[in-house]
Amino acid sequence: MFNYYIKLAFKSFKRNPILSLLMVTAIALGIGASMTTITVNYLMSANPIPHKSEQLFHIQVDNWDPNNPFNDDEDALPNQLTWTDATNLTHAKKALRQSAMSMSGAIIEPQDSESKPFEASIRLAYTDFFAMFDVPFLYGGPWDNNSDSNREQVVVLSKRTNESVFGGENSIGKNIVIAGRHFQVVGVIDTWEVMPKFYDVNNGPFNETEELFMPFSLKEDLELPNWGNNNCWKSPDGEGYAAFLRSECINTQMWVELPNAQAEADYLDFLNNYVRSQKELGRFPRPLHNRLNDVMEWMERREVVEEDAKMMMWLSFMFLLVCLLNTIGLLLAKFTGKSSEIGLRLAVGASKADVFKQHIVETACIGLVGGIAGLGLTLVGLQGIKSLYGDFVDDLASLDASMIVVALVIALVSSIAAGLYPTWRACNISPASQLKSQ
Amino acid sequence: MKQSQPQTSTSWELGPILRAMLRNKVGAILIALQIAITMTIIVNSVYIIVERNKDMQRDSGIDNENSFYLTSVGFGDNFNVPNTVEEDLNMLRALPGVVDAIQTNAVPNSNSGWSMGLKTQSGVEHDAVGTAVYMVDDHGVNALDVEIIAGENFAPSDISLRIVGQVDWPNKTIITKAMAENLFPDINYADVVGKTVYINDIDPMVVVGIIDKLQAPWVNWSNVENVMLSPERQSFKGSRYFIRTEPGMRDTLMNQVEELLANSNNQRLIKGMRSIEETRERSYRGHTAMIKILTTVMVILTIVTALGIVGLASFSVNQRKKQIGTRRALGATQGTIIRYFMFENFLISSIGVLLGAILTVILNVILVNAFGLDRLDWFYIPIGMLVLWLVGQAAVFGPAKKAANIPPALATRTV
Amino acid sequence: MLKMTDVKKVFRTDLVETHALKDFNLQVGEGDFVAVTGPSGSGKTTFLNIAGLLETFDGGTYELDGQDVSNLNDKHRSQLRNEKIGFIFQGFNLIPDLNLFDNVDVPLRYRGFNSAERKKRIENSLEMVGLAQRMKHLPSQLSGGQQQRVAIARALAGEPRFLLADEPTGNLDTKMANSVMELLKTINDAGTTIIMVTHDADLAKQARRNIYVRDGQVSEL
Repeated sequence: MFNYYIKLAFKSFKRNPILSLLMVTAIALGIGASMTTITVNYLMSANPIPHKSEQLFHIQVDNWDPNNPFNDDEDALPNQLTWTDATNLTHAKKALRQSAMSMSGAIIEPQDSESKPFEASIRLAYTDFFAMFDVPFLYGGPWDNNSDSNREQVVVLSKRTNESVFGGENSIGKNIVIAGRHFQVVGVIDTWEVMPKFYDVNNGPFNETEELFMPFSLKEDLELPNWGNNNCWKSPDGEGYAAFLRSECINTQMWVELPNAQAEADYLDFLNNYVRSQKELGRFPRPLHNRLNDVMEWMERREVVEEDAKMMMWLSFMFLLVCLLNTIGLLLAKFTGKSSEIGLRLAVGASKADVFKQHIVETACIGLVGGIAGLGLTLVGLQGIKSLYGDFVDDLASLDASMIVVALVIALVSSIAAGLYPTWRACNISPASQLKSQ
Repeated sequence: MKQSQPQTSTSWELGPILRAMLRNKVGAILIALQIAITMTIIVNSVYIIVERNKDMQRDSGIDNENSFYLTSVGFGDNFNVPNTVEEDLNMLRALPGVVDAIQTNAVPNSNSGWSMGLKTQSGVEHDAVGTAVYMVDDHGVNALDVEIIAGENFAPSDISLRIVGQVDWPNKTIITKAMAENLFPDINYADVVGKTVYINDIDPMVVVGIIDKLQAPWVNWSNVENVMLSPERQSFKGSRYFIRTEPGMRDTLMNQVEELLANSNNQRLIKGMRSIEETRERSYRGHTAMIKILTTVMVILTIVTALGIVGLASFSVNQRKKQIGTRRALGATQGTIIRYFMFENFLISSIGVLLGAILTVILNVILVNAFGLDRLDWFYIPIGMLVLWLVGQAAVFGPAKKAANIPPALATRTV
Repeated sequence: MLKMTDVKKVFRTDLVETHALKDFNLQVGEGDFVAVTGPSGSGKTTFLNIAGLLETFDGGTYELDGQDVSNLNDKHRSQLRNEKIGFIFQGFNLIPDLNLFDNVDVPLRYRGFNSAERKKRIENSLEMVGLAQRMKHLPSQLSGGQQQRVAIARALAGEPRFLLADEPTGNLDTKMANSVMELLKTINDAGTTIIMVTHDADLAKQARRNIYVRDGQVSEL
């Protein structure tokens, strides 16, 4: 019977090609617009590390100005840590894993005379960074704890840097000149792009992973520049790089891994105690207020999803609504036009349920075709987004399998919803009224 | 026979049309809702577009068309920053076609830079006014193409050298008129010259000059015209040069300058060379994209709604063929039939745009609360209503014309 | 009153040319009641359409009420239909979305009467057909005979010189048909000229004059 309904649906499609095409177009446009914006929002708000996002926490402590909160927001806390606090907390080793981290950059001077020096971005971190974030390695592995404490000049390369400096071969143990110093390569990571780049959203949450990784402790030795955001409420005590590092300026991110709620509670206790002890040293003039944010809380707090993207999504939903209202109207027109056929079917013994099924199948077919066409339009829309926003959205504008399913489901559900009323009306035609001539 | 009144006074059939519409509510409601939501989206979109456009049209203060900048990063132990900067600037300023060149820590509209707070009274307890900081030498005013409207420029002897991690500030500054007015709202900007302001809560700086207009690096900052100039060169590993050229010389000079700087010293690399035009294009890319997307949405939406009206109206004409034939037989002219459908659509549209006006305001309030948009100007609403009315009338004209062409003889056909 | 001389009407499609009327000649006087009969396809309806100015014709002349209507434009013809001709259709052709009052109102609107005048005429004509009590009802709430009475009221409300009836009883049972016929006779007695197309010979006999159409031409009986 289902096949019969499908056949009828296509016959009906052919009988009113323009009306049918209008409906398919309306659904396709609505789906295309919504799916384009949903995809962008979905990717912007994606969980970058789903298997352990609830065990990773970004730390916030309030070291800010006694007279003014960090910003106007009620429970605002500084969004980064001072170098001092981040290193202290990392060295305390009270979490399963922990790492202070920040972004920097330096010039790499390749050893062969043909290649030109180039500038590379650096993620300064502790060895736990790699285990904590499950960074995949191509060759070698992270440096060890000793390298952190002894400030050894070791480096982990990104796959691309390894390709441009060492031609992609296993470069473990090789020498590389960075910032005028000799470094030893201990590891090369495989392709690792987290989206969003949750561990440091200051430099754009959708930027690429850094090209080099090196021990955080080298920041001080090499006086590496700060490539991220630096925010001060009072100026450093004294001149020079060391004074800058030890100031109340915030420029460091701090992540810890806490496997369960108990560990989380314990860590917050530890954190509060740490701040209390710092208060005794005359720091942390504001009321005690510390916070642990898991990955998704942090993404929410830092408003990783662009407001424009959200706004466009809501507008596109309204757009879809208009398209559906349109479809309801057209379906109503189509089914009313078929009332004599329906009257006949009822007269020859079809039940209301039969007529209902027949027309819901017809509507679903229109929805499905519209949904598939809408997917095509989504691709066009995403291509448009790419060309409008430039390279940085490349990874934000691609359609994955789950989005395709979502698109088809939305198309089906919304078209069937749109078809309910017209179908109901069609079923309630009295068989007799339609058989007489007008 | 009674004398008939002139045909021109044929009444609009308001009553019968309304009563007939009420018997077919659903179709009318669907169209009215479509019109209402379409109007809501269109009016709010147009408003967003206009606002974004206004932002983009604001004067940056600098010579957008003829300025560019680049960064020179030194490496190796023998790289002497102050000497290199001095040599570079002398070389750049001597180049034919260059109006002026400076070293600066940040570039207007580039979205990255320094900010500080200035106070009119010394002490942590007083409120500060946020400002962008451009560190420039005495050529700054000329290179940035700004005008000193009160006070005077920095003298060469005012220029100090800032080192990495330096905390204190020079004792002179030049600020924008907007900054002067934000700091001292009660006095004329010209009288701000000679006043002392405090940076880092307590370090005094004397305002020696006021410039007309200069934008901060951050285009979306609400105080984008709060800017101060600090008389400094910087001895950072990366030096940013900002160069203003004679009209039309920019592109030639960009190539020339990059090559000259790269060849003059093999212990550095040149990166990030970009014209201000391109920088502004990048900084406003979100705006441009939003404008284009909203425009596309508006056009498609209008087409969808119009097609919906055409579809339903055509259907309703088809349904009413017999009735139209009868009306023609009873004396309706073609004009009367067209007018009937146009007027019917006008009534439906009227309900739609009235509802649309309410929804528009509601959506605007939501956007204001959720996304910090400004309140909609009232006149957008009547314009939106008028436009949607016209769209409805245009869309229904085709089907109405078709209806008018239905022959009166249809009335005697037994179908 | 009505004078057709050598009226021709040809229907053309890509393949065939059908001569619906050829040299059709007819004269109807003031106050007459003419029944037109003939086999189906003989040109009865074409004649009615042309007589009622619903269709144009291809040759000959047609004078209505002393006026040559051969070359009038569409608007002018609409106006003449509205003022001089009342129509009664086989299928009643009431507008289903409008109640009886609004249905009778339709031609009066086109006439441009003011609302008081229209109201008076609607009430009078519905009174005449005995349906004044049901003004607010919709056509679907009436029987076929009642619907045709409404149609007659609509045709008469504008006080036309001419009443053209196309199988006015075709969709009615005998009893209702007779009552409609009686109504038409009353109207004719009051001075309105009636031309009625029918295939019912008994009905035709009740008219003052009978004509027979065959192959697009008149043969008087």
